[in-house]
Amino acid sequence: MKRLFFAIYLLVVLASPAWSRELVDQLGRRVIVPENPQRVVALAPSLVEIVYSLGQEAKLQGATQYSDYPEAAKKLPRVGSYVRLDIERIVALKPDLCLAVREGNPKHQVEKLVALGIPVYVVDPHDLKGVMAAIHGIGVALGVEPRAAKVVAAMRQRIAAVAARIAKANSRPNVFFQVDAGRIVTTGTDTFIHELIYLAGGVNLGAGPVAYPRMSWEQVLALRPEIVVITSMAGGQTPEQLTAGWRRWPGIPAVQQNRLHVVAADLFDRPTARLVDGLELLAALIHPELFGPAHGSR
Amino acid sequence: MAADSRPLAPRLLLVVCLLGGWLVVAVLLALAVGPSGWHLGEVLALLVGRGNGGLEETIILQIRLPRVVLAAAVGAALSLGGLVFQVLLRNPLAEPYILGVSGGSAVGAIIGMLLGFSPFPGEMAMAFAGSMLVLLVVVALASGRMRVGRDSLLLGGVMMNAFCGAIIMFLISIAQRSEVQQIFFWLMGDFTMFSNERLPVLLPLLPCFAVILLLARPMNLLLLGRESAATMGLSVERVTLTLLLANTFMVSVVVCQAGLVGFVGLVIPHICRLMVGPDHRLLAPASLLGGASYLVLCDLLARKLPASGEMPVGILTALVGAPLFIALLWRSRQ
Repeated sequence: MKRLFFAIYLLVVLASPAWSRELVDQLGRRVIVPENPQRVVALAPSLVEIVYSLGQEAKLQGATQYSDYPEAAKKLPRVGSYVRLDIERIVALKPDLCLAVREGNPKHQVEKLVALGIPVYVVDPHDLKGVMAAIHGIGVALGVEPRAAKVVAAMRQRIAAVAARIAKANSRPNVFFQVDAGRIVTTGTDTFIHELIYLAGGVNLGAGPVAYPRMSWEQVLALRPEIVVITSMAGGQTPEQLTAGWRRWPGIPAVQQNRLHVVAADLFDRPTARLVDGLELLAALIHPELFGPAHGSR
Repeated sequence: MAADSRPLAPRLLLVVCLLGGWLVVAVLLALAVGPSGWHLGEVLALLVGRGNGGLEETIILQIRLPRVVLAAAVGAALSLGGLVFQVLLRNPLAEPYILGVSGGSAVGAIIGMLLGFSPFPGEMAMAFAGSMLVLLVVVALASGRMRVGRDSLLLGGVMMNAFCGAIIMFLISIAQRSEVQQIFFWLMGDFTMFSNERLPVLLPLLPCFAVILLLARPMNLLLLGRESAATMGLSVERVTLTLLLANTFMVSVVVCQAGLVGFVGLVIPHICRLMVGPDHRLLAPASLLGGASYLVLCDLLARKLPASGEMPVGILTALVGAPLFIALLWRSRQ
């Protein structure tokens, strides 16, 4: 009896959108998406940002913890954190489309949503190209492809503008990117930051197979970074406190030349259009001679 | 053993009815309450077969029900498991993970996660294999000279847990960020992975419960010491080994479904002992029912307390259980 009711419920849910389309998401999964989704739940902060950047925020019914950009997103109902979704809250919001990320959202929870009859569109960006593909894919799923194409074209143009200036640089300085305020954790090859440092005309000293390698001061001193970039997690320490650990080592070229920079973490760890802001900031920090003094670092 | 000369049957009936009733109330409450609100009416409607197929019903049947069943099964198995080990090892600090089951299954599960296995059946099978491997090593270590030695069991288990702990820390140090979070959820007890399709996996618990409940009287005798128990006609070795295997198997089954839920197995048997006395013919069913309802309620709090998301249930079991136990201990001393 219960099974019958559930089957009827599924039928009603699946049949009610008069028009629906079959899309293929970034994992190659087939997803049946309503022609014009009206109740969207975004399962990661980056996805909320993308929906806003596409001007579709009116469709957002729920978001995960830490969805804090833009400011208005803070008011969205919360459905757990992106590494641990609150399935019950999601289902109660009656979404006709969920947006998910492969890295972070637990696979079994995504599968549970699908089993409950909710279409889940999954993105899996690994580099800037992947981010642009994700934005485009989400635009298609939300029925606003032209708008997404515009956003992506603007990103491409800004990236090309940075590349054009970097082409004039006569050196590639060594950059050490510190992603954790307390310990010295840097970024390996398979990260957005690695790509951004390269595009901004620098060399990532953390390059290597481990995504977020932890280093000792001895290793850092041996690497002789010329520029140090530290991301600040929201709140807490001042730039002086964040750079104090480095200032103990006057032998490091970056310390000698006072090239210790603190930047906002959001610009570098969220796969959204804001990565291009991060790129422009980084390029200005690495090559001030080409870009003039950077705005946005502290 | 005849500390209480009153007949057993009526007292057993009373304990089972009271704690069984309490479990039913806990289950109904846990089905009715969740982060999306109160749905007591819908639960009652479903009970009398008058469901309406609405969204609330999906939430109750597909999301809350598997969790509640899992919580009850895990609570019952861990609590009974702790009780049996407290008898077998004659040590009040014994708990269901003491023979290394936790370490072994955690290593198995984490390796499964890092290899990208799906939670079910991949990770689950790895966790189960890990705990069985550790059990084999510990029992083999302890069963020299034709008998299973109590101290060598205890030491073997503690050592295996320490060894596995080192492996776990190493695996965490090489894991990616998002994997580390999943590992920590597993180590703190995680009920979110379970679903209705997996319910049959819990069925092997029933014969284990039966074996342990049937051996309640021999457990009373074991507490007198091996020699006294043997003179009273008990086949000590056989009973010990049966309890050991049934118990570890039962604990492994729940651990590989729910991760490491701490504290329940240590403290619920003690709380029940303070309430019903030391006779295992009462204590075993009391621990089973008490553990089940305790974990169902803890999981309810874990889902409902935080404004957003949920907290790992393993935090609440100790947060609620330790003060409760201290209060009971205080009262019994007065």
